[in-house]
Amino acid sequence: MKKTLLTLVALLLVITGCERDDICIDEITPHLVVRFYNNDDQTLLKKFSQLSVKIMGVENDSINFSSNDSILIPLKTTEDITRFIITLDSDQNTFNRDTLTVAYGREDVFVGRSCGFKTIFNNANYTLQTDSENWILDTEIITQTIDNETTAHVKIFH
Amino acid sequence: MLKYFINTVFLLSCLVLFSQNDTQSNDTIIKNKYGLRVGIDLFNPVNAFFDEGRKGLELVGDYRISKKLFIAAELGYLEDVSDEDFINATTNGSYIKAGIDYNAYENWLNMENAIYVGFRYGYSTFSQTLNSFTVNNDPFLDDLATVESGQKFDNLNAQWAEIVLGIKVETLNNLYLGFSFSGKKMITTKEPKGFKNLFVPGFNRVFLNNSGFGFNYTISYLIPLYKKDK
Repeated sequence: MKKTLLTLVALLLVITGCERDDICIDEITPHLVVRFYNNDDQTLLKKFSQLSVKIMGVENDSINFSSNDSILIPLKTTEDITRFIITLDSDQNTFNRDTLTVAYGREDVFVGRSCGFKTIFNNANYTLQTDSENWILDTEIITQTIDNETTAHVKIFH
Repeated sequence: MLKYFINTVFLLSCLVLFSQNDTQSNDTIIKNKYGLRVGIDLFNPVNAFFDEGRKGLELVGDYRISKKLFIAAELGYLEDVSDEDFINATTNGSYIKAGIDYNAYENWLNMENAIYVGFRYGYSTFSQTLNSFTVNNDPFLDDLATVESGQKFDNLNAQWAEIVLGIKVETLNNLYLGFSFSGKKMITTKEPKGFKNLFVPGFNRVFLNNSGFGFNYTISYLIPLYKKDK
C-alpha cells in the first residue's frame, strides 16, 4: 500500500509540475520586414551602410541599423497608420532623409496566457513623400498581409 | 436529477432498516461507523480575505460503502479573476466532482481517521469575460494601449480527472476536519473562439500542459446511519 501511495504522490507531482507558461515565448505582433534592393538591377539585394529609423509620434530615439539588406521595424497598434523617417548614411554629413508612410487595417488575435494578444495587419499600403532628392527610388509590395516575420513584406529600391 | 435524489433517499432508508436487524451484541467487537458525511470547504472563504478576485462555495460529501471505500462528491460555485501581464479575464461557473476515496490508514480501536487517496471525475459549466487586454508589441513603441473589451464567452464546459490525497481527522464526535491536495488533468474542454479557458471552476488555473491542482480545507459532519464490524 505504501508503494502505491508513493507512486501516486510521484504521479501527482509529474502531472502538476512543469509550470512554464509564465514566460511569453510565442510570436507577438509582427514587425514590418523591409528588404533593400538595387534599383538598377531589381533582382539584386543592395546593402546600406548606415540607416536610422524614427517613428513619428513615438518618444523614443531612432532605431539604428548598420550594413544590412533588411530591417525589422515595429508598426503602431493604436493607429491605422505609421509614419517612418528613414535616414540613409545617418552617421555622415551627406545623410538623406525620406518619409515613408504605411497605412493598414488591424486585427487583434489571441496568442496565449502569457503573451496576451497580438495585432496582425492587412491591406498594407506605402506612400513615399517626395522631396528634392529621394534616396528611396521605388517601393514594391510583396504581401499586403503582415502576420509573420519569416518573409519580407516590402522591397525598397535604392 | 430529483429521481436520483429520491432513489438515494430510498436506498439510504433501506440501509437503516437493515441495520436494525443487526442482532449482534458482543461489546468487545469494534464496530465502524457508517453513514453520510457532509461538509463545506473552508479554503475559498478563508482565501477571500487575501485574494479579492476569487469567490466561491463548495459542498463536500461522502458515503461509506465498505471498511476502506467511500463514494465521494463535491459540488461548488466559483468566480475567479485571472490577472495576467497582458490579459484580465473573469471566469464564473459551477462544477461537480464525483468519485471514490480509499482510506489507507489503519485505525486503532474505534477511531475513525483517514489518510486517503481518491479519484474524481469533474465536470464544470462556466462563462468567461475578457475584461481588458494589452496588445503585445515591440516595447520600443511606448504607447501599448490597454483595450477595454468586455467580450463574454458563454456556454463553456470542461471535463477532467483528478487524483486526491488527503487526511480527515475526527476532532469531536462525528465532526471531521480535513485537508486535501489534488492533481488534475483535463480530458476535454469546449474552448471559446478567439480566446482560451484560462481558468475552470473546480479545476482552477489551467496550466500549459492542461494540468491543474487544488487545495481544500474541509469541515464535515458524519450523519451516522449504522455500525458494522468491518
